[in-house]
Amino acid sequence: MKLLTKYNRVNLATAIIVLLVTGIIYYQAISWILTNQKDKDLKVEEQEVFEYVNLNHHLPQTFESNDQQITFTEVQANSIHRQFIDTTYFRKWNNDSRHKHRHKRIGEYEPGRGLVTAVTAGGKYYKVLIIESKVETEDLIQIIFVITIGVILLLLIVLLITNRLILSRLWQPFYSIMKELRLFNITDSKEIQKVDTSIDEFKELDRAVLAMAAKAKHDYKDLKTFTENAAHELLTPIAVINSKLDTLIQTENFNERQSKILNDLYSAVSRLNRLNQSLLLLVKIENRLHKDEEKIDMKALTEEQLVQFEEIFQDKGLKLSYSLDDKEIFANRNLAEILLSNLLGNAIRHNYSGGEITLSLTGEQLVIGNTGDDKPLAGEKIFTRFHKSSGSEGSGLGLTISRQICENFNFSLSYRFQQPFHIFTVKFK
Amino acid sequence: MKILVIEDEEGLRESIEEYFSEAGNVCETASGYSAAITKINLYRYDCIVLDITLPGGNGMDVLKSLKENNHPDGVLIISAKNSLDDRLDGLNLGADDYLVKPFHLSELKARVTAIIRRKTFNGSNLLIFNEITIDLLAKEVKVGKMALKLTRKEYALLLYFIANKGKVVSKNAIAEHLWGDGIDMANNFDFIYSHIKNIRKKLMEAGCNDYIQAAYGMGYKFTDQ
Repeated sequence: MKLLTKYNRVNLATAIIVLLVTGIIYYQAISWILTNQKDKDLKVEEQEVFEYVNLNHHLPQTFESNDQQITFTEVQANSIHRQFIDTTYFRKWNNDSRHKHRHKRIGEYEPGRGLVTAVTAGGKYYKVLIIESKVETEDLIQIIFVITIGVILLLLIVLLITNRLILSRLWQPFYSIMKELRLFNITDSKEIQKVDTSIDEFKELDRAVLAMAAKAKHDYKDLKTFTENAAHELLTPIAVINSKLDTLIQTENFNERQSKILNDLYSAVSRLNRLNQSLLLLVKIENRLHKDEEKIDMKALTEEQLVQFEEIFQDKGLKLSYSLDDKEIFANRNLAEILLSNLLGNAIRHNYSGGEITLSLTGEQLVIGNTGDDKPLAGEKIFTRFHKSSGSEGSGLGLTISRQICENFNFSLSYRFQQPFHIFTVKFK
Repeated sequence: MKILVIEDEEGLRESIEEYFSEAGNVCETASGYSAAITKINLYRYDCIVLDITLPGGNGMDVLKSLKENNHPDGVLIISAKNSLDDRLDGLNLGADDYLVKPFHLSELKARVTAIIRRKTFNGSNLLIFNEITIDLLAKEVKVGKMALKLTRKEYALLLYFIANKGKVVSKNAIAEHLWGDGIDMANNFDFIYSHIKNIRKKLMEAGCNDYIQAAYGMGYKFTDQ
C-alpha cells in the first residue's frame, strides 16, 4: 500500500467520523435552539390566554391562525400538569388547494410543538392545548443541515485533492532516490546522482544513500584490486614451476611412474594457470579495460574458431552442423574470440564421444547447441563463478566470463535445454 | 647465438639460462636494471629476453636505451602483465615480440629463434635441418628435392620442433602452441598424438629420417642423435 493511500485512508476515516459527530451535535444544537424559540412563542400565547381570561372571565374564542391551534377542554380541577410536548399539527387545506383534490383529504399532519397548560374561567377548570406547527423550523434545520453537509463534503474533496498533489510533490525526492538506488550497479562506474531537495529528511536519506553507495563501490573495488593483485602475484611462481618442469623433463630417463607424476604436475599447473588467467580476465572485463573496439566479421571469426577446434571435433568424433549468415559486430576482437572459444569449448567438453554440435549465426543471434547430459543444467546458476558440473575439468569461470563479455557488448546470453540439446543463445541487440 | 636474459626472478632466470645454454650458444643473465644497462652498453646480443618489472628500474627503459643507441639486438619482452596497452607500448618501442608469463621454455625458445632468424635474414630465408629445407616466406617444406604437403598446424609443429631440437617438448607446450588457450577441454592429448603420427608419416614417406622421438609419455623430442 502506498504511503499516500494509507495516509488518505486514515485521514478520510477520521474526517468522516469527526464530521458525523459534529453533524449530529450541530443538528441537536440547532433543533434545541429552534424548539426553544417555539416554546417562547407558546409561552407568549399562553400569557395572552391568561390575560384574556383574567380580563373577561371567560374563555377566548378558539380560532385557527396560520400555524397555531388552541383547544380548550374542560377537565377535573388540578389534574393538569403544565408541560411542553412534541406532537402533531393538523393542517387543513384550503378548499381550492391542489392537495385537496389530489389526495381526497382535507389536510395533513405536520410535526408540531405543543404546550399543555390549564386555566380557570368562570369557575371551571380547562385544559389548554396550544400547538404550533414546526414544519418551518424543520425546513430550516434541514436547509442548514444540507448546507453544512455540502460544505463539509466540499472541504473533504478539496483536502483530498490538495493532499494528493502536495504529497506526491512532497515525495518526489524520495522517488528520485529510489530510482537512483534501483539503477545502482556496483560494477558500474556511474555514480548515484545527488537529489535536489529542501526537505531535511530526504536530504539525510540522500546523504546516507550516497555514502552507502560510495562505500559499497569502494569495498568492491578493493576486493577487485585484491583479486587482481593476488592473481598477478601468482603468475611468477606459476612461471617458475612451469619452467622448472620444462627443465626437469630435459634430464634423461624417467620410469613410467615418474612420467605419470610429471604429467599430472603439468596438467595441474596448466589448470592453475588457466584459472588464474580467467580471474585476471574477469577483473579486466569488469573494469571495462578492453577499449579498442573494431568492426568484426562474426562469420569469419566463427569459421576461424571452428578451424581451431577441428582436430578436437575429429578426436571426439563430434558431428558438427552449422549455418552462418553474415553478421558484423562492433566490439573488442580479443573478447569476441574468447566468447566464441568458451562457448564452443563448453559444447565440446560437456559432450560425449560421437555427440552432436549445432551452430547457427543469424543477424539477430548466435545459437550453439550440444548433446551431453540428459538433464537440463541448473538454469541461471551456471553463470555464477565457480559453478561446475560434476567431473568438469574447466575452471568454472568460462560461462561467467562469457556472460560478462556479453554484458560488456550489450548482448544477452541465455541457456535452455531442448532434448537432447543444451542450447546457449547470444542475442545481439 | 648469444642471448641475454634480464629477469629478476632467480628460479625463472636459471631455468631459461639452462634451457638456452647448449652447444654453440652463449647465454648471459642480468638480475637487475643497472646490471642490464651495463651489459647492453658493453656487449651485443642476438636476442635479449627482457622482463618489464625489474628491481631498480623499468624494463621499458632498458628497451629505450637500446633503441636510442641504435643497437640492433632483438628484444623479446616477457611480462606478467597481459594487457594490450603494455604489449603495444613494448612493440611500439621496438620490441620484436611479447610473451606473457607463465610460458613454456620451448615456447620462449621458438620465439627467440624466430626473432634471431628474422634478424639474420640473408635473402633466402631458408631454414635447413639436415635433409629438411623450409622456406619460411613461402611456408614450403622440402625433404631433399621432394615437396611436402603439410597442414597449417603440422607446419607450425615442425618449426616448433626444429627450434627446440634436442629438447623434450611437453604435450602441454605443444597443445598451447598450436591451439592457444582454447585447449583446456582436452585432458587427453590423443589428438596431438595423431598430429605427430601424421607429420612423422609424411616426413618418412618423403624419405626423411625419423627425428621425432616419444619421451616417456610426457612429450616429444626432435633430434638427429
